[in-house]
Amino acid sequence: MARNNTFYIISSIVLASLLLLPASLFPYDLDKRVQAYTLKNGLRLLMLERHLSPTVSLYIRYRSGAVDEADGKTGTAHLLEHMMFKGTKTIGTRNYPREEKVLVKIERVGAALDREKIKGDSADQALLRQLTQQLKGLQKTHRQLMISNEIDRLYTEQGAVDLNASTGQDLTTYQVSIPSNRIELWARVESDRMANPVFREFYTERDVVMEERRQRSESDPDGKLLERYLATAFIAHPYRRPVIGWPSDMRFLDMAYMRHFFKKTHAPNNTVIAIVGDIQPTEALRVVQKYFGRIPPQKLNPFPVTEEPAQSGERRIEVLFAADQKLILGYHKPPPPAFADYVFDLIESLLTRGRTARLFKTLIEEKRLAKSIQAHNGLPGSRYANQFVFFAAPRHPHTSMELEIALDEEIERLKNEPVSGLELEKVKNQLRADFIRGLDSNAGLAGMLSYYEALLGDYRYLIDYPAAIDKITPNDIQQTARTYLTRENRTVATGVRKP
Amino acid sequence: MKDKSILRPHSFLSKILFLTILCLVFSHSIVSAVASPFLPNPDRITYKPLSFTPPKAERVTLDNGLVLYVLEDHELPLVKITAVIRTGTMFDPPEKEGLAELTGKVIRTGGIKGMTGSALDETLESMAAILHTSTNRDSGVFSLSVLKNDWEKGLELFSRILMTPVFEMEKLTQEKELKTEELRRISDDPQKLAFREFGRLIHEGSPRGRLVTANSINRIQRDDLIRFHRLFYQPKGVMISISGDIDRKEAETLMNRYFGNWRPTEEKVETPPLPRPKEGMIYILPKDLPQSIVIFGWLAPAKKSPFSFPMEIIDFIVGSGGFRSRIFQEIRTNRGLAYSAGSFYTAKSDYGLFGAYALTKSESTLEVISLLRGIVKDIGQKSLLPKELEMTKGSILNSFIFSFASANQIALQQLMIEYEGLPEDYLMTYRNKISAVRTEDLLKAAGRYLDPEKAIILIIGNDTICKEISVSFKEVSTIENPL
Repeated sequence: MARNNTFYIISSIVLASLLLLPASLFPYDLDKRVQAYTLKNGLRLLMLERHLSPTVSLYIRYRSGAVDEADGKTGTAHLLEHMMFKGTKTIGTRNYPREEKVLVKIERVGAALDREKIKGDSADQALLRQLTQQLKGLQKTHRQLMISNEIDRLYTEQGAVDLNASTGQDLTTYQVSIPSNRIELWARVESDRMANPVFREFYTERDVVMEERRQRSESDPDGKLLERYLATAFIAHPYRRPVIGWPSDMRFLDMAYMRHFFKKTHAPNNTVIAIVGDIQPTEALRVVQKYFGRIPPQKLNPFPVTEEPAQSGERRIEVLFAADQKLILGYHKPPPPAFADYVFDLIESLLTRGRTARLFKTLIEEKRLAKSIQAHNGLPGSRYANQFVFFAAPRHPHTSMELEIALDEEIERLKNEPVSGLELEKVKNQLRADFIRGLDSNAGLAGMLSYYEALLGDYRYLIDYPAAIDKITPNDIQQTARTYLTRENRTVATGVRKP
Repeated sequence: MKDKSILRPHSFLSKILFLTILCLVFSHSIVSAVASPFLPNPDRITYKPLSFTPPKAERVTLDNGLVLYVLEDHELPLVKITAVIRTGTMFDPPEKEGLAELTGKVIRTGGIKGMTGSALDETLESMAAILHTSTNRDSGVFSLSVLKNDWEKGLELFSRILMTPVFEMEKLTQEKELKTEELRRISDDPQKLAFREFGRLIHEGSPRGRLVTANSINRIQRDDLIRFHRLFYQPKGVMISISGDIDRKEAETLMNRYFGNWRPTEEKVETPPLPRPKEGMIYILPKDLPQSIVIFGWLAPAKKSPFSFPMEIIDFIVGSGGFRSRIFQEIRTNRGLAYSAGSFYTAKSDYGLFGAYALTKSESTLEVISLLRGIVKDIGQKSLLPKELEMTKGSILNSFIFSFASANQIALQQLMIEYEGLPEDYLMTYRNKISAVRTEDLLKAAGRYLDPEKAIILIIGNDTICKEISVSFKEVSTIENPL
C-alpha cells in the first residue's frame, strides 16, 4: 500500500564526496558494484555481490499494480498476487490435462453463480443452491487432482525465509531469501509462474482476501480512515481506490478478467529482477538466461490513466468509528523524480524524524497536544502525482482541531522562516546515515534497487540522490512549502468516535 | 500475502539456531510433477554443497562483572551496540505496574549527569545516531546504531545513560501522559487489545500477568524510577554486544574506560513465580466488529527443557511452518476462513508459551474454534508420517544459516544464549538435537503440554457470537471492562 517501506528509510545515498564521510572512511561505490543486464525479451536484471554469509535475496518486481485495474475490478492485482502462489502447469498438479478440464468447469459454474448472486434479492434461490452444490462437487473433484501450496512447500523445504509478495498501487513484488546454492530452484519456480500460472482454489482465495479486508480496513480504525481519506483526496485518478479493492467489486472478481490482467502486466518486458548476496554473477546470469530468457515479451497495456485534476479548495470528511480521534491531513504534489519530491523527503525528516524534529518538539513535548505525529512523503504510490501526508493522534482532552491549528502554524513557519544551516545539515546528515544503514542487508538492497528500476526505469536515481539532496537550500524548502502546502490543495480526514 | 507476525508476542530472538552448515540436499518428491523438456522437476534439482563457518564473537568479562561480546565487521562504516538488561515488567511492584517500562523510557529521555535530556537528543541526532530502548516481560534491550567516526562518543553517552540517568521530572510527566493516552486507545485496536488480554490470562498467578493501567501509571513517582534503576541496572545484570567497523582491542579498552567504574549493588532480587493460568477456561470479550479474534494458549516447555526441540517442530507443523502448516492449510487455504491464522511457540529460559490463533468473520467463529481445537488434538494423538517429520526437520535445518546473516546477529545470539542460561554448546548441538527428534517425542511433548481441554481460549467478537459461545461451552467467563 505505502510505497516500498525501505524507501524512506533509505531515501538518500551517501557518496564519498560528502563532508562528513571522507573517501578513506567509506570506499563503498554502489554504482560500480551493481551489474545490470537486459535480456532479449526485455527483462531487466540487477546483481550485487555480498559474501558475508552463504545466502541470497531475490526480488521480482512487475511494473503493475492496482492503478492498472479497470473500474469495477478493484482488488484484481492483489488477488492475482495471491493466486500466483497456487502453482503452475508443472507445480501443484497430479495430472494437468485432467485437472484443466475440471478447472474450466469450475470457472463456468463459478461465473454463473456470481451472475446470479449479483442480482441480490431477486436472485433465483433454487438456482443459487444448485450452482453452489455443483461448485462444491467440482472443487472436491479438483482437490484430488491437485497438490495445494506446492510453491511454498518447495521453498520452505529448501530453507527459504521471508517468502512473501506484496501488491501496491504501482508495483507487484515477489520476494524470497534462500541459501545461495539454491538459486536454480528460485529460477525454476519463478520463471514458471511468470509464464504458466494456474489459478487453483480461486473462489476460496477470494474469501481469504475478504477476510484480509475485514482485518485491515473494517476492523482497523486506521485502515478505514486512510481508505476514506484517499477516496476523498483523489476524485478521478485510480489512487482514489483501495489496493485491496472495494467490497462489492471483490465479491465478484472473476478469473477471465484476472487472466487478461495477468497477460497485460506480468511480462518479462515489464519486470525487474534484483539479486543480492553470495553469488557469482556470471553463474547467476546464466541461470536467469536459461529460465527467464525463453519467456516471450508481451504487448503491454497502454491503458491511459485518468489524470487527477487540480484540487480547487479544501476537502474535509469525518469517519465514524468506535475509536478515539485521529487525523489525516495531506497535500497533492508531484512524484519522483521531480525536484519538489526530493524537497519533500527533506521536509518529512525535518518535521517528524526523531525526537528533535520540529513537530515532535512542538506538538508532543511543548504543547503536549499530540500522542503521535508522523509525516509521510509519497502516498499512496509514486508512479503518478501523489501526496504528502500527516498522520496524527491528539492526546486527550485535546482535539484533532487543536492539533490541526498547531500543525498549520508549523507549516506557516516553514513558508516564512528559512531553515537554519545547522538544522538543514542535521537532516541531511541523518539521511546519509540512513542510506548506509540500508546497505546492511541483502534484502534491503535488492528491494531498493528493484524498486527504483521498476518505478522510474533507472536504479541510478538512488546513486544520484545524495547530490540532489545536498543541493537543496533553505530557499527551496520555503518555495516548495509555499507552492504545495496550501489550504486549497489539502484534504483533511478526521476519525471520530461513533456516538 | 502472508501475515504471520501480527499475533506474535514479543520475542527477542525467537529462534536461536546454529552452526557449521553443510547443506542438506533435502529432496524427496511428494509427487512426480510432469516436467516439460525445459523444466526440471523442482524436487530433483541438485545443489552444490555449501560450507560456511560463521565467525564467532569474542567474550570478555570486565572486572565489575559486566559481560561483553565483540565481533568485527568492516563492510560498512557502522557500529551497533546492544545492551540486554536483567529487568522486565515482571518486576513491576504491585499497584505500580508500568514502572519497568517507564524506567526504560525515561532513562533515555530524562537526561544524564551533566547533560539535559533535550541536549542529549540534540547530540545524538546531530551525529545521526539512533538509540532505542525497550522493556519486555523479562528483559530490557537498549540498542545504538552509530557511524564509525562517532562511535566512541556514542559509547560514552550509551554508558552514561545506563549508569547515571537523571530522570528529569518533566520528561517523566511527559512519558506518563503518553502512556496514559496509549492505554486509553488500546481497545480501538482489536489486535492490540487481544494481545494484551491474552498476555494477562496466560500469565495468571504471576506478576507477568499484571497489566498497566492509568491508575498504576498515576501512582508512579520519580523516586520509584531511581530505586528501580539502582536495583536492576547494574554491571552484573547487563550484557553488551558490540559489532561493526571497530577494532576488537580498542572496543575492550573503551568499554573499560566507560563502564569500568560502574559498581555492582549487593541487593538481590527474587525472580517472580511462574504463571498458573486457569486451564480449560474460555474468555469472551464483546466488541462490535465484523471479524472475531480467537487465540488458544498453553504454557509450554522452557528453552532449557529437552521438550523444547520437539515443541519447535510441533509449532512448525501446526501453524508457523509456511502455507503447508496445518492451521494455514486448513483454515486459510482449504476453507478461506481467515487471512491471518497460525501458531507461535516462544520459549524463555524458565517457561514457554504456545499459542494458536485465527482472525475470522463473526459467522465462522465457532467453526474456527473447533478447527483449531481439532488440529491441536491431532498432533497429540496421531503419529506423523515419517516423510512429514523429515520435511519439517529439513526446512528448519536448511534455513539455519539465516541466523548468521550479520555480525550483529551473531554476537547478539551468543549473548542471548548466556543471558538465558543455556549450555555453552547450545548452538553447536542444536542441529543434532533437532535431527534426533522422533515421532514418539512429538506425541509425548504434545501430550504433556498441549491438551486441547486445558487450553485457555480468548475470543473477541460481537455480542451475537459471544452469546453463542456462552451457551455452547462450559466454563465461559466474560471480560467486562478490559481497561
